[in-house]
Amino acid sequence: MAPLDKKIKKFLKNTIRIAPKISDKGELAELRTGLVSQYPQTRKDAIKQTIKQMTLGKDVSTLFPDVLKNIATNDIEQKKLVYLYVMNYAETHPELCILVVNTFVTDAQDPNPLIRCMAIRTMSMVRVDKILEYIETPLRKTLQDDNPYVRKTAVICVAKLFQLNQELCVELGVIEDLKSALGDENPMVIANSIAALTEIYSLDESVVDLPNLIQTNTDKFLSALNECTEWARVTILTALSEYQAADSLEAQNIIDRVTAHLQHVNPAVILATVKVIIRNLPSIDGAKRDLIMRKLSSALISLMSTPPELQYVALKNIRIILEKYPEILSKELRIFYIKFNDPLYVKIEKIEIMIRLVDPSNLKQCTLLLNELKEYAMEFDIEFVSRCILGISQLAIKYADERFIQKVLDILVELLEPGQDAIKDSCCEAMCNILRHCPTNDAMCKQVCSILNSWASPVTSLQKDTAKCNYVWLMGEYPQYFPGLSDKIDQFVENFTQESSLTQVALLISVVKLHSTLSGNTLQTVLELATHDIMEVDVRDMAMIYWRCLSLDDSSALVEQLCNLHAPVINCSIDSFTPEVLERLLGQLGTISSIYFKPMDHSKHKRLQHQNIIRGKHIDELQNLAKNELESKNNDDILLDFDSESVATNTTGNPQNNNLLGDLDDLFDFGPSTTSNSTPTGDITSGLAQTTLNDTNSASKPSNTTATQDLVDLF
Amino acid sequence: MTSAVYFCDNKGKAILSRRYKDDIPLNAIDKFQTLLSDMEDETSVIPPCIAHNGIQYLFIQHNDLYVVALASSLGVNIAEVFAFLHKVMDILAEYLKTVEEESIRDNFVIVYELLDEMMDFGIPQVTDAKMLKKYITQKSFKLERASKKKRNAARPPSELTNSVSWRAEGIKYKKNEAFLDIVESVNMLMTQKGKVLRSEILGSVKVKSRLSGMPDLKLGINDRGIFTKYLEGNNIGVNIDSSHPDLKDNQSSITSSKSKAKSSIELEDLKFHQCVRLSKFENEKIITFIPPDGDFELMNYRLNTAIKPLIWCDMKVQVHDKSRIEISCTARAQIKKKSTATNVEIIIPVPDDADTPTFKYSHGKIKWVPEQSAIIWKIHTFPGGKEYAMTAQMGLPSINNAERPKFRRPVQVKFQIPYFTTSGIQVRYLKINEPKLQYKSFPWVRYITQNGDDYTIRLS
Repeated sequence: MAPLDKKIKKFLKNTIRIAPKISDKGELAELRTGLVSQYPQTRKDAIKQTIKQMTLGKDVSTLFPDVLKNIATNDIEQKKLVYLYVMNYAETHPELCILVVNTFVTDAQDPNPLIRCMAIRTMSMVRVDKILEYIETPLRKTLQDDNPYVRKTAVICVAKLFQLNQELCVELGVIEDLKSALGDENPMVIANSIAALTEIYSLDESVVDLPNLIQTNTDKFLSALNECTEWARVTILTALSEYQAADSLEAQNIIDRVTAHLQHVNPAVILATVKVIIRNLPSIDGAKRDLIMRKLSSALISLMSTPPELQYVALKNIRIILEKYPEILSKELRIFYIKFNDPLYVKIEKIEIMIRLVDPSNLKQCTLLLNELKEYAMEFDIEFVSRCILGISQLAIKYADERFIQKVLDILVELLEPGQDAIKDSCCEAMCNILRHCPTNDAMCKQVCSILNSWASPVTSLQKDTAKCNYVWLMGEYPQYFPGLSDKIDQFVENFTQESSLTQVALLISVVKLHSTLSGNTLQTVLELATHDIMEVDVRDMAMIYWRCLSLDDSSALVEQLCNLHAPVINCSIDSFTPEVLERLLGQLGTISSIYFKPMDHSKHKRLQHQNIIRGKHIDELQNLAKNELESKNNDDILLDFDSESVATNTTGNPQNNNLLGDLDDLFDFGPSTTSNSTPTGDITSGLAQTTLNDTNSASKPSNTTATQDLVDLF
Repeated sequence: MTSAVYFCDNKGKAILSRRYKDDIPLNAIDKFQTLLSDMEDETSVIPPCIAHNGIQYLFIQHNDLYVVALASSLGVNIAEVFAFLHKVMDILAEYLKTVEEESIRDNFVIVYELLDEMMDFGIPQVTDAKMLKKYITQKSFKLERASKKKRNAARPPSELTNSVSWRAEGIKYKKNEAFLDIVESVNMLMTQKGKVLRSEILGSVKVKSRLSGMPDLKLGINDRGIFTKYLEGNNIGVNIDSSHPDLKDNQSSITSSKSKAKSSIELEDLKFHQCVRLSKFENEKIITFIPPDGDFELMNYRLNTAIKPLIWCDMKVQVHDKSRIEISCTARAQIKKKSTATNVEIIIPVPDDADTPTFKYSHGKIKWVPEQSAIIWKIHTFPGGKEYAMTAQMGLPSINNAERPKFRRPVQVKFQIPYFTTSGIQVRYLKINEPKLQYKSFPWVRYITQNGDDYTIRLS
């Protein structure tokens, strides 16, 4: 009976759980008792509880030594839990981790690969340089480990180490190991090595010659491609997209070998493959190119049946590709028709694509799209509807046929049925843009003006600045079609000071232009308001100049000359990228910059190093430091809601600032940050591209603002 | 590369986090909540990526959760990040059934463990649920057998880093079976007059594999790309027709295309599970693979073809006396007589303020769902060729002028048609070969057609 008895005892010991004691010393004390309990299950529960508190943002760092006692165990789950705890504090309390260093070193030799990995992974995250020195042996060993699972973890640790301590990393020479890992037999190790090298390269280009490494290993990458996980494929393909093929033969070879991946189920793999192909496409021509184009097109379309976020990424990238290869999706307009349950951000991007995709020589297609847009324009959301209406005007200008434009106008009128005040803004803009496309069509001007003139009080019914600006411009341009003009202008003038500068400038110009027909009073008021009450320099200067011109002796001829200029004819209201920007964007497909259309500059983009490693202290000094910290915490041993933030600031305050500055730098690096006021008048497209660059989030805005802007710039 | 992944509640407040890289401040996530609400105040168009202070917030929504990935550089592969986040949700769903705030809070240990294994230093690693389950075992399961597990500690399976990383060795079944499900979802956008504006078929071949050892499978389907060699000159299939099929003229389009398609069809945009040898398919057009164990989607495809509506609803809406609306709907199952549509649901939008409904109908059940501003007509079985009708009358209290109430939402139709595929895809064979065990095996195939997420009829 004895063995059975023993068994039962053992079983009880293992499974028994002690209910946590409610003690008046607070929750921390309870946890501590649990952590040192003699029953394994209770200890484990206590660790879990501790981690839970940690997750909730409470500071449980004082329990560190007690949690640590549980690390020496055969129970892998318990070990994992302890490591989880340690890993969390590795970042905020690096000095505490010194207490674990010996365990790390032993665990890195554990027979279980999982434990070896955990040890090395955690160790490379602790920001204490003395610990980092201990890392040498385990890291070297694991880099040569028999188990590929361990090797793939170890290669990433090199990058982590590099991020924490560049000098040490270089000194240890592990980067050389990393480079040789590119020749590993296991594809996942190769992929992770590429990723690690890419990371190191992005931090400091002088340490590794990544382009050269990619160049020399292309064959290896291509053969590893077919045998690894989806994510490894993404990494390898991304590396391949940096590769410059020597000639068209090689380019063709690369394309042939990656094309199969256009049929992978993972959208990220597809997009990475597209990127490689696009990179090599320029050196291919003839029939082969058409074949590749067909495959690309089908792959891009397939991205439209993915989750909305990925559709969004795909749509943004399609817009870039479309500009370089406009023929690519020409037969696929219908794929981009809007589904009524698409999220709004997808809907708007779809309109952007459709407007660009539609073939202006194909009346049938244009009419189809027009009907679709009209349908969408009857939806709920005002922002979406505005985009549709603008889209309708863009389509009209793109197709550029008077009969078609007339049809478009009729649709706009139909949409503007009574009660639809909210869309007046966008209709006004759309109509004015159309008029600016065909300024000579008198009947149309008359029609538009009479519609707009019928609106009771444009000052209040129009909300958007751009719409008001357009309205005022129209009054100045075609005063003959606005009966009761002076009343309308007076209404605007009354509100002059509350308008924003676009409208003010437009109003100023129109009033000057019409000064002979309006009562002298109006002109006087506007000039006075603009010069006295307005802080905006541009408006004031402009008013000043006009005033001086008008007060010259023979002013009429001069003013005549000034006012007779016409806004440039709009031939295309769809914004496009400058060739240079486009090329750079094509090289960055799939990245965040491709979403913002804001190409990243590799040479300028260097993230700052974090110099917040605890340095130059001896181990025993650190141990003292750790003990002191624990003791001082113990004194106020109540589990208050320590804001994890405030604790964290001690160690991370530094990088925050660095980050901030670095990112500010980044912001200023992009594109010319001229305000659109100085945009040259004539060249609409280049102006548009610039604004697109400067604008991060709303890519749809620039087209109308700039179009409106040059109304103003004209003078 | 991703710097951190956060799980946030529906307000955007962080519940759980895993930081992978040390290059963003700890409190960066606190900003997310305000960013989100600021954005909501400003616009209704909220893209899934927000930039603030040089930090990129990339997020997806799932039930009542925001899953946010933070990145510090514009060079991060955003497609990879979103694909990864969706993958994380898929895998969590395998572990937790429903993934929502509550279940995340209850299972944070397992979530940590998974996050730890799925990504390292911002680089996605192992995301194969079946393999993860081999060494990241559920907590509850662990507790029951804690004593046993001690001796038999979890290790990463050696297959994990092999080229067949999705299947463990030594799987055994008494009876070796493989089930194939071919599911086609039809998306279709129609006008009230029956003009088809857009139609597509999204197909998916799902496999449930219960096979021992390391079987090698070969799937034969009647795809034209695959069969051209054998069936030359047979280029019919379902052609993409740019002109819209008129309803009346095309009464038999389904059946005819079906009979033609029997020989071969052309599948577009084939997408394969990672187990399929892509280069083999690219070069020889043969689908061969070693399947993962259990359920998985082997491939999916899309067909962009003009097809006739499967379930057509003839809608009539009349507004009487400014205070009453009458909606009549005639539904017709335009499928072969021997097929039957099941679980048909026709969701007809009604004005928000309509009330006091009265219905007349011959089949099924109708109910008014004011929360959705719709009436839902459910028909359990709908045999091919039949025509059912209903009329509904509702009061409109707040109509003041003669203006017609606008229908801004389309009529939605949901249905399932078993034993039927719209494209005509057929499995010719499924060869199962396990070189070592040489067992007998049984492949099973089922077909079903259903509505996609956008099978709608516009009311104008």
